[in-house]
Amino acid sequence: MEKIKVEICVGTTCFVLGASALQDIEMFLPEELKDKVEITGANCLGLCKNSHFGDAPFVRINESIIVSQATIDSVINEIKKLVK
Amino acid sequence: MNGDETFIEIECSQSIKTGESVCGDAFKTVRLDDENRHIAVLSDGLGSGIKACLLASMTTTMALEFIRKNMDVLPSAEIIMDTLPVCELRKISYATFSIFDILSGGKVRVIEMDNPKFIHLRNGKDVQWEAKTMVSEKWPDRKLGVTEFKAIAGDRIICFSDGVSQAGLGSPENKFGWRRDGALKFIQDVIAKEPSVSARELARKITVEARSKNPEYKYLDDTSCMVIYFRKPRKLQLLTGPPFNEENDKIFAKRVLSYEGKTVLCGGTTANIISRELNRKITTNLKLIRISGNLPPPSQMDGVDLITEGILTLTEVCRALEAGKLYDLPLAASELTNMLMNSDVIDLIVGTKVNEAHQDPNLPVDLEIRRNIVKKIKYILEQKYRKLVTIKYY
Repeated sequence: MEKIKVEICVGTTCFVLGASALQDIEMFLPEELKDKVEITGANCLGLCKNSHFGDAPFVRINESIIVSQATIDSVINEIKKLVK
Repeated sequence: MNGDETFIEIECSQSIKTGESVCGDAFKTVRLDDENRHIAVLSDGLGSGIKACLLASMTTTMALEFIRKNMDVLPSAEIIMDTLPVCELRKISYATFSIFDILSGGKVRVIEMDNPKFIHLRNGKDVQWEAKTMVSEKWPDRKLGVTEFKAIAGDRIICFSDGVSQAGLGSPENKFGWRRDGALKFIQDVIAKEPSVSARELARKITVEARSKNPEYKYLDDTSCMVIYFRKPRKLQLLTGPPFNEENDKIFAKRVLSYEGKTVLCGGTTANIISRELNRKITTNLKLIRISGNLPPPSQMDGVDLITEGILTLTEVCRALEAGKLYDLPLAASELTNMLMNSDVIDLIVGTKVNEAHQDPNLPVDLEIRRNIVKKIKYILEQKYRKLVTIKYY
């Protein structure tokens, strides 16, 4: 099975609104998810320029799912939904 | 000599005598763009600490102004000697100096008083010029040496205070100190190994090596080394911000492809534009966040030397440059600052489109307008670090 790709935006807006703390997602991932997820940083995803997507910080999952105002918990919940 | 072909890099490395809080040597330099001229002065004040610092600073300031105004050498030196305050302890007023006046076309005039004689290296060899001696009637024991010659591309001029030439004085290996000859041999070895070593790096290496000659790695005197390098300019372009008109995105991409020098992209959107136009992938190593301090980590792309976040990083770099504190910076700011310091000609390419998300009053930090911060960086790089900086807006 292909790994779930999680991109944490480290653009200016996301960074000042807390993306730097999201790097620790890896540490909080439940054991059963650890080898199913690939977490990377991403250059500005451009989502902050469009209010339609909500507020920063943003995390993008599998190129399509956008998590706005992302926290470690909300991102892990999204990942869990995909695994089910 | 100057301009496109040859850049004159002037740098000085200074270390304070161990135990003192200020340097008793002073260094000042100025670039007069209108005349295509550079002046640099190194002075060593009598003694150490505040008193020496004061004597040396007064000397460099006066010397620089007199030379800039093309005053005659002898009366200038006399004014300096007359003006310096008399040391209570030693009953004399005294500071050595070496003045380098580099004119358009590479004509160099050196005026020295009591500093170790400067070194002029051409193709690794010490060119020995004969100095004309001048003596003031008022101060007959102070002899001035005036040397004139023409420098060519690749030449280096090195001048140091006696903290360098007297390093290791009294030790079995250097009974009379490292001396000019010892330093010269070291400099020749460094250049043989690293032919294009920058003035900044060479000056640093010399002071560090001088310290290594002293017992317990202490600086036993204020130790300064100035290097002037007539070099092919090291160029760097920094692209930051998306162009106001999207049709100029292509110009940005073209610049990345064709620039003869290093390329830095500052800003996520800027990097994305280049990535899209050139079809090159950007990678960001999230692991780097842990060592990135309070800035987003740098990213990578083929053909680009550095990619950083934009406004926060530029703000941090600007602050560091202004304060002269170029160490212990967050990773991206440190890499960018190093690249700027290791360049002679810097082209700032600024896209003026404003990122509206940055203007949100709910953001926890104030984000400066890019154009302002870049203008400030230009000013500091020119005034404080003697770089040739251009700026272009799109």
